[in-house]
Amino acid sequence: MSGDDCDALDRGDSDGQKSDKMFTLKKWNAVAMWSWDVECDTCAICRVQVMDACLRCQGESKKDSYGKQDCVVVWGECNHSFHFCCMSLWVKQNNRCPLCQQEWSIQRMGK
Amino acid sequence: MITLNRKFKKDVNERPNGTTVESVKRISVRDKLLVKEVQEMNENLPTTCSVHFEDPDVLSEFILTVCPDEGYWTGGKFKFSVFVTEDYNMEPPKVKCLTRLWHPNINVDGDICLSLLRQTAIDEHGWAPTRRLKDVVWGLNSLFTDLLNFEDPLNIEAAEMYKKNKTEFQTKVQEYIAVTKGKR
Ligand SMILES: [Zn+2]
Ligand SMILES: [Zn+2]
Ligand SMILES: [Zn+2]
Repeated sequence: MSGDDCDALDRGDSDGQKSDKMFTLKKWNAVAMWSWDVECDTCAICRVQVMDACLRCQGESKKDSYGKQDCVVVWGECNHSFHFCCMSLWVKQNNRCPLCQQEWSIQRMGK
Repeated sequence: MITLNRKFKKDVNERPNGTTVESVKRISVRDKLLVKEVQEMNENLPTTCSVHFEDPDVLSEFILTVCPDEGYWTGGKFKFSVFVTEDYNMEPPKVKCLTRLWHPNINVDGDICLSLLRQTAIDEHGWAPTRRLKDVVWGLNSLFTDLLNFEDPLNIEAAEMYKKNKTEFQTKVQEYIAVTKGKR
């Protein structure tokens, strides 16, 4: 709700004047809820949330929390996501997505 | 939100002297995974299986005992040693069968042919880091039932005997079981 709306209401009250309409709809804000898909949210390799540092990086954490930003998320063409650290270790063994067995190729990386 | 909160808490915990991280004994990824997976394995243990840890502090080595309650090996008691290497879960655990038995997928040296335990499988049956200890237990247990495979045998003699004469095969299986029972 914007500040203008509040002012208008306050003024109306203090002046004791009655407006024709009780309420005027000035603005309509649509609110959407969203959440992470739970299955994609957890790295299936180390079982830590992809938005957190992977199990490996947590153990070797740097002097401060900034080091954790190095641990990024990687999405494959198959849309499965993992920690980049976890996936780069696995592709050395087998260049397939461990969830769907498709040939692994990176779609994007980031946070 | 939850993630942010947790991160914030972590930062606060580490702040006081800044040496917290270094003073904590470094625990390997394998050991961290094992803490969760051993518990999960115990909670989901099939009724035909039991697990024994020689040293309760070492979660990476244990003995799995399978007592099949159906099929050719009913009445037998088969022990497997499971060793989880430092490279877990990029590598499958190393498993040996400690009990001599007559089985197409396990040879007399205790080597096991189970695709789940194969590092370099190219299909969905091979090892993947998404697998857990409970899957390994399930796989070994199923070698006596669902995963029993006469088509791609490790003990070729056993598989051929089965194809020629199932009664002879059954007798030989039970002979091996009788021998291991006599030893005890
Ligand atoms: Zn991970
Ligand atoms: Zn990492
Ligand atoms: Zn995938």
